[in-house]
Amino acid sequence: MTKDPHELYWLKPGRYYLQGSEACVEGALMAGCRVFAGYPITPASEALEHAARRFPQVGGRFIQMEDEIGSASVLIGASWGGTKAMTVTSSPGFSLMQEAISIGIMSETPMVIVDIQRPGPGQGYITASQEDVMQARWGHHGEGAIIALAPASVQEMFDLTIEAFNLSERWRTPVLVMAEEPVAHLRELLYVGERKKINIFNRKKPQDLGIKPDAYLPWGHEVVAPMANWGDGYNVNFVGLVHKEDGNVTDWSPQVNYDCTRRLLSKIEENAREIAQIETKFIKGSRNVVISYGAVSRTAIEAVMEAREQNGLDLSYVRLKTLWPFPEESLREVINDVDNIFIPEMNFGMMKHPIVEALRDRCKNFVSIPSIGILHSPEHILSKIVEETK
Amino acid sequence: MLKYLKEEGLMGARLPLLLCPGCGHGQVLNYTLNAVDRLIKEDKIAKEKFLFISGVGCSSRLTSHYLNFDSGWTMHGRAVAVATGALLANPEFRVVVFTGDGDVASIGGNHFIHACRRNMDLTIVCMNNGLYGMTGGQQAPTSPRDMITTTTPYGNTEEAFDLCQMAEVSGASYVARWTTAHPHQVIKAIMKGIRKKGTAFIEILSQCPVHRKEEPAEMLAAYKRITIPVAKAKEGDKEKILVGEFCDHDKPDWNASYQRVIDRYKSKDV
Repeated sequence: MTKDPHELYWLKPGRYYLQGSEACVEGALMAGCRVFAGYPITPASEALEHAARRFPQVGGRFIQMEDEIGSASVLIGASWGGTKAMTVTSSPGFSLMQEAISIGIMSETPMVIVDIQRPGPGQGYITASQEDVMQARWGHHGEGAIIALAPASVQEMFDLTIEAFNLSERWRTPVLVMAEEPVAHLRELLYVGERKKINIFNRKKPQDLGIKPDAYLPWGHEVVAPMANWGDGYNVNFVGLVHKEDGNVTDWSPQVNYDCTRRLLSKIEENAREIAQIETKFIKGSRNVVISYGAVSRTAIEAVMEAREQNGLDLSYVRLKTLWPFPEESLREVINDVDNIFIPEMNFGMMKHPIVEALRDRCKNFVSIPSIGILHSPEHILSKIVEETK
Repeated sequence: MLKYLKEEGLMGARLPLLLCPGCGHGQVLNYTLNAVDRLIKEDKIAKEKFLFISGVGCSSRLTSHYLNFDSGWTMHGRAVAVATGALLANPEFRVVVFTGDGDVASIGGNHFIHACRRNMDLTIVCMNNGLYGMTGGQQAPTSPRDMITTTTPYGNTEEAFDLCQMAEVSGASYVARWTTAHPHQVIKAIMKGIRKKGTAFIEILSQCPVHRKEEPAEMLAAYKRITIPVAKAKEGDKEKILVGEFCDHDKPDWNASYQRVIDRYKSKDV
């Protein structure tokens, strides 16, 4: 095996003190991403600057595009050109990327977008927010599912970015890392293990499966089709229209449309059990549960510990590592019959909707604990829990 | 040329073109494939190196529908940005962007001028018919003043863009304008554009007889009449449309410049 001429600049195993935004760029490089496109926006500019420094060092290419529409479009071209590609942005930029996300879903393009959320609507502000979690799922036009992860630490900015690339290559779809400003600007310890022990998934290619160009169906063979890239000699015609498994767009019928859209939806939603991850603590027999995700889960666990130790409350903790597809089955496996579910979020209760939908027969009382523009303090969460359980 | 076209097979029956009778875009496809064929033969460029990218609109239909090449029929206005991504992944691609005046100069105007500024190694073939064809003949940023379109029913009150001037001042390496009535010149310009490192912008005035409600043959004849080669143009020819080469520079393209940065971090021991 030829040694990579840029190996000297690969991240070595060890302990690092990094910002979340830097960690997600390092995670991307570890996953084999070699194209980065971005546009400056607070609070995501640190990631852009780190990528500008790091990508050429490892033989990759960084480009600052004219806008976020351009950045997301570059991911489409780079991914079909045969390279893993990513961008990092914040909420207003994320809005501009929805067009490319939509065609990324339709064309089944592996690509990773990190959204370091800030409050909205409009210019909103530049602080903490989780107000894009619904835009992540429903922001793009048309049906079609998406995968969105919610990192809660610098370590997860690294690990879940690698996971995002693996999922995007495995399921051939855009994957979103829904970070927030507190996690992006946080500096804490990052542990990087041995490179060969890190699980990296690369897209399946027809040439590896022995499928010849004449017999290749760019959107067929399996639920997730093997992907021939441009330049592979497979005459790949990328299309954004409703298509058949061979890429044919001229024989449109309601049935063709149904089959195409249905498959895009079901390949993710019907595999939610495999894709979506949750983390739980103290769940057995508990009558009260806090469900949180991202930065909020850091203060939520504090509140849970305090409630158990100081207030003697019977309280459990669930963290959604995956927001979309919604981990409904996993939640129903751990939550059977409870009195209260508390949902602290940096929005007015967006993820409360799918939580209620998943658990309405298992819980009597769903309590949203919003905090807007700023991360909840543990006291904020705790006081609401105490008030409700009195 | 037929070997470069998908007549039938996996993708279904594709020919005749779905374009309206008399449309100039089929001619542009013909000219482009002639240029590509000559490059494959003369320069021995592998067919797999060619990549055709387009956005949305009549002109963009030339890409995914008919070509026996790798291609991308992408988002309205974003062809140049998607092509930029492909070049970042693999600088070896010979990328041809098929686009229209609305696609590249209106919704995609920003990507267009920035690709020229960066001198991305693209050959942008822009079919300019002065209107939005696919959506029903609406005003485009290239519609002349006073032109009646479906969205300027009282006559266009705005000025038109000069796309070649735009490309030139934005920094493209090579800029030329011809019409569908200039087949040999178009073929030569496209060959030159693909050979050129950096952005080549080739505007081709392409007739839309359906929305202009004119005879195609008469429109082609008019293209000869109303244009004048830039080298021959005199003061009194102000009313005429200039055709020919507007600039032809040799300067590093984006990837060549960026490669120098990458090379700084390349180990010499490998």
